[in-house]
Amino acid sequence: MVDIVPLSSYPSYIDLLPSIQTCNITNLPENYFLKYYLYHALTWPQLSFVAVVRPKNGYSKTTAPDGSKSLVEQYPKVVGYVLAKMEEEPTDGMQHGHITSLSVMRTHRRLGIAERLMRMSQRAMAESHRASYVSLHVRMSNIAALRLYRDTLGFKVEDVESKYYADGEDAYAMRMDLTPMWMDWAAIERKDRERAQSDDKDADEGEEVGELGKKETEQEQEKMVKVKVGRGLGVGDLVEKNEATQGSS
Amino acid sequence: MPQQLNSKDAALFRQVVRHYENKQHKKGIKVAEQVLKKNPKHGDTLAMKALIISQLGQQEEAFTLAKEALKNDMKSHICWHVYGLLYRAEKNYEEAIKAYRFALRIEPDSPTIQRDLALLQMQMRDYQGYIQSRTAMLQARPGFRQNWTALAIAHHLSGDLEEAEKVLTTYEETLKNPPPVADMEHSEAVLYKNMIMAESGNLDKALEHLEQVGYRCTDVLAVLEMKADYLLRLGRNAEAEAAYTTLLDRNSENSIYYDALIRAKGIAKDDHKTLKAVYDSWVEKCPRGDAPRRIPLDFLEGDEFKQAADVYLQRMLKKGVPSLFANIKALYSNPSKRDTVQDLVEGYVAGKAGAQSNGSAESQTNGENNDFLASSHYFLAQHYNYHLSRNLSKAMENVDKALALSPNAVEYQMTKARIFKHYGDLQKAADAMEEARTFDVKDRYINSKAAKYQLRNNENDKALENMSKFTRNETVGGALGDLHEMQCVWYLTEDGEAYLRQKKLGLALKRFHAVYNIFETWQEDQFDFHSFSLRKGMIRAYVDMVRWEDRLREHPFYTRLAVAAIKAYLLLNDQPDLAHGPMPAGTNGDAVDDAERKKAVKKAKKGQQRLEKIEADKREARKAASPTAKGADGEAKKEDPDPLGNKLVQTEDPLKEATKFLTYLLESSPDSIEVQCLGFEVNLRRNKYALALKCLSAAHAIDAAHPTLHVQILRFRKALDNLSEPLPAQVAEVVNAEFEALLPKAQKLEEWNQTFMSTHKDSAAHTQAGLTCRQILNKESKPQCEKDLVATLDSSDVSMETALAGVELLEQWGSDQAAKSAYAQKASSKWPESTVFNLD
Repeated sequence: MVDIVPLSSYPSYIDLLPSIQTCNITNLPENYFLKYYLYHALTWPQLSFVAVVRPKNGYSKTTAPDGSKSLVEQYPKVVGYVLAKMEEEPTDGMQHGHITSLSVMRTHRRLGIAERLMRMSQRAMAESHRASYVSLHVRMSNIAALRLYRDTLGFKVEDVESKYYADGEDAYAMRMDLTPMWMDWAAIERKDRERAQSDDKDADEGEEVGELGKKETEQEQEKMVKVKVGRGLGVGDLVEKNEATQGSS
Repeated sequence: MPQQLNSKDAALFRQVVRHYENKQHKKGIKVAEQVLKKNPKHGDTLAMKALIISQLGQQEEAFTLAKEALKNDMKSHICWHVYGLLYRAEKNYEEAIKAYRFALRIEPDSPTIQRDLALLQMQMRDYQGYIQSRTAMLQARPGFRQNWTALAIAHHLSGDLEEAEKVLTTYEETLKNPPPVADMEHSEAVLYKNMIMAESGNLDKALEHLEQVGYRCTDVLAVLEMKADYLLRLGRNAEAEAAYTTLLDRNSENSIYYDALIRAKGIAKDDHKTLKAVYDSWVEKCPRGDAPRRIPLDFLEGDEFKQAADVYLQRMLKKGVPSLFANIKALYSNPSKRDTVQDLVEGYVAGKAGAQSNGSAESQTNGENNDFLASSHYFLAQHYNYHLSRNLSKAMENVDKALALSPNAVEYQMTKARIFKHYGDLQKAADAMEEARTFDVKDRYINSKAAKYQLRNNENDKALENMSKFTRNETVGGALGDLHEMQCVWYLTEDGEAYLRQKKLGLALKRFHAVYNIFETWQEDQFDFHSFSLRKGMIRAYVDMVRWEDRLREHPFYTRLAVAAIKAYLLLNDQPDLAHGPMPAGTNGDAVDDAERKKAVKKAKKGQQRLEKIEADKREARKAASPTAKGADGEAKKEDPDPLGNKLVQTEDPLKEATKFLTYLLESSPDSIEVQCLGFEVNLRRNKYALALKCLSAAHAIDAAHPTLHVQILRFRKALDNLSEPLPAQVAEVVNAEFEALLPKAQKLEEWNQTFMSTHKDSAAHTQAGLTCRQILNKESKPQCEKDLVATLDSSDVSMETALAGVELLEQWGSDQAAKSAYAQKASSKWPESTVFNLD
């Protein structure tokens, strides 16, 4: 049985990284250092998912801090994964997600695993990061993948990128709208205000919070700038370069 | 005080620093030399120059220069800082920490030195030091949230959960208003605090906190998972049921959710009807899902099982799901389910399908029926190929029928290759897999499989040729270089194992060290995240990563690699002539005369020279093809000066090298009996009796009757009886006392072995072990042992692998050609299709 689980959120399956890397290099020509997977897992821990077959009587070597044997720390077999991120410097200024790599072992096709992985990732992009859309590249010859993205999931072809892949093949650049899955942040901030009011009878306090709510978009932008400045040092630099030469899928 | 420069030179010195920061290294050196011309003993400038040339890769010169700098100016924090950075560059973290500490003592307010020190302390898991550093950094800049979070992490990882939570709360209390929902750093810090609460065991408090803050956390799924988990563990079943229902609504393919839901509902394990109804309701909700259809097969029995299995199998066979068998075989530990499945699918190929499926026998088109039939034969082929239901001729029959119906199905052909593998014909297996590859040459998965089967057949060159169809061959070192660079652990390990089987130890060790180094790289990879993750604020993921790195080598990839590497070093230790290349079988026994041995060594050396020539030619060809090959990180890389591993294989001390692999292995996989037995082999050869015994005792605790352990216990007794010099009194006392528990001194050894053999007389592996012991106890018994070994092949349950181990055993015993032939002939007649018992 194939389970779909998060890579590095709760519970964490980050122990599977070497197996995910192996799944990738077994299936696809576009490969990455382990550090590039780490970079995804630690920058956008909500977005990547793994398809695993759990060992029936799997061994559990480590115990959780509370002493219980943890299922998560067994080594299940990885039969698929989706590695996803948020575009860090979107040229169109719109927050959006990007599928770095997706693959399912040939032996585990026709179970709808790729579709499920994609849906989980898309939902997280919308819920956690308020992504406007998700983009990806697909080989023009990859009919099965094209069918999944376009017919099953509802992606649209945005563009053709000539010679996108290292072997000279062209890619479709595809994307899909994610705004319908956004969370209602205004409602959340209303709840904030209500709580503040009930917690604290001081009218001024409530006022202040209310003002904060209105400024939401402004503040959000400010925050985005901060994130950008924070990036660019260390890991980001190092692994981005690798992606550029390797090409992503 | 640091040495003073005049104002002009001081300005130049600042330029050197700027050039270094901008990575303009050549300019930096030039200006540094300008300063040094007038002030040849200026420590800071010497240190900066050292730092720059270390950036250019000249570590040795850099160190010499840095030492000179320190000699000239012991009181300069720059000199000490640079000294530390150089140690850091060569990964000598302990020395680096010492140097940073000196630098910090001189310049306590330097944020750079403090930060560099802190990062290394984290990397080294010096939590007390890290707490100190982080406390100082927080005091220096309390306005930054990440400084608070970092201190909390330090306390958390050091085990002080209460203090960690307190630090986070202290910062939260400085916030007048809740930050905007979009503030992910805040959202994650809040969930991190919740994680600490849960870890400290106070789930009630964690749950309450989560109810308070969860609604505004951006990681929506994580909040749902945490809540469901806490509720279930708290036994608040009604709420837990609702929480897991929500999770299943989001993702109906996670068996852990179903398990939790059933627990929350409090359904008894044997109440199959109620259980089935729960799963059926999810089938209705998610008609395309697999989990709720498949899970009931685990608990249903008898007719209920048969009915459910029938529906499940037919549906999947009609869809042509290739993983169906992989999904079903877990049921075979129950023989009656195994037989039911077999009967059902045999029925389908006999034309009895359709009628039972939900009572709705749809009329099928010919094409659909064809696919269904092919899928069913494919299923049966895998079924009869599986060790719990094996019948290889039936497997082959079925796969051929499937292929006749669907001649280019990659999966079917793959199964055919696997059947040949189980027949013991590795050549045919490799050929069949290669044929499967040709069915879909653009698919890397089948390409990888073909290469793997070639490696299992010791065809290293052919395998690499296949792999090169998907690698970036312009990389330094060609296809193999790319596989190294992309950390292709599976290939490098298989390649090394194939060389080990061929006794080409140089190449084998070369690959094993490459994988070992990949693990070192993975461990090093975390370094940048100690600062990066604080900036990003994804603290839960970071903490999980740190914990994973601490158990990195528990991954089966490491276990497998280390076991193989240690075996290679043991072989090299026992047969040093293998350093010159593979030797013909039988040239290591005592019977061989010296002249013959010398001849063999000479031949091996010649073979080695030929290989070197080929390798050199290949390298020239690559150079001619792409003169400026670059790695994936864009840096020009040098060719490997020792591609054949000659340097590795010529090691003075193979056992010391083996210990390097063993130390991690014993640390990360102490529960594996194979690991403990290998640990014994290494330690016994190193005359480390206490350590060898420790491995024996550990193995004994895992499986007291393990055949390898049985032989090792006897060998240990013999080793203690024949010490060239007695053990130090204290060691002897401990060793004797502990060993008494495994093999009492008063025990008669022949009797002890005889009891073992009669207890396990039906197991070939145990009998092999008993015979080996009998020979150790009585050399004269060899001819009888050889006969008895042949007799083990009569046992009905002896596996081909065990039989193959018998071949090794005869080699170990130094048996003559006649004994070996007798054994091989018998084995060959038992497994007529197999090629592994060929004598040559």
